[in-house]
Amino acid sequence: MDSPTSSLEQNIDLSKLSENDKKELQQFIVNESQKARIQQSVHSLTDICWKKCVTGTIRSGKLDRNEETCAQNCVDRFLDANMTVIRHLDNMRNQS
Amino acid sequence: MDNISNGLGFGASSSDPKAAVMNQIRQEAAMTNARQLIEKVNEHCFEKCVPKPGSSLSSGETTCFTQCMEKYMAAWNTVSRQYINRIQQEQGRSAGGGGLF
Repeated sequence: MDSPTSSLEQNIDLSKLSENDKKELQQFIVNESQKARIQQSVHSLTDICWKKCVTGTIRSGKLDRNEETCAQNCVDRFLDANMTVIRHLDNMRNQS
Repeated sequence: MDNISNGLGFGASSSDPKAAVMNQIRQEAAMTNARQLIEKVNEHCFEKCVPKPGSSLSSGETTCFTQCMEKYMAAWNTVSRQYINRIQQEQGRSAGGGGLF
C-alpha cells in the first residue's frame, strides 16, 4: 500500500521539469482528480443502488432486466433528490 | 532512448520525470479504485452469500461470491453509464452550472 508513495520520492527528480512539462502535469492532475471524483461518486451510488435494487438471492453473474432498470432509475432519482436538497437550501438562504 | 541517464537511474522514471509522475498518478488512482471495489464487493457479497458463517467457505458460498462479484461489477458499470449520461445532460442544459459532487 505504501510503496507507490515512497517510490515517488525516491526516483523522480522534479527539478528537471520544463515550464511546459509543469503546465502539462498540472492539467493532467486536474483531469485525473476529476476522474477520481466521478469514480468515487460511482462507487457510492453503486453501493446505494445495490442495496435498493438487488434484493433477492444471487442466481447469476448478470443483472436481470428489473435490476438493471432499477439501478438506472436509482441513479436518476438519487440525483434528482440531490438537486431538490440543493434547491431547497438555496431557497432557505434567499429567505433569511 | 539514447539518453545516458536511462542507464543510470531506475528505468524511465529518472530520465523522464513527467512521464514518471503521470504513471505514478495513474497507478495510484487505479489502486484506490480497485481497493474501493474490493471493499464494496466483499461487504455486499458477504452479506448475500454468507448469511451464517460456518467453519469454512462452502463451495456454494464460493460460487455465490464469484457470481455476486460479476453482478456487482455489472451494477457498477450500469451506474457509471447512467451517472455520466446525467452529468453530460446537466452540463448541456446549463453550461457553467455548478457540479453536483
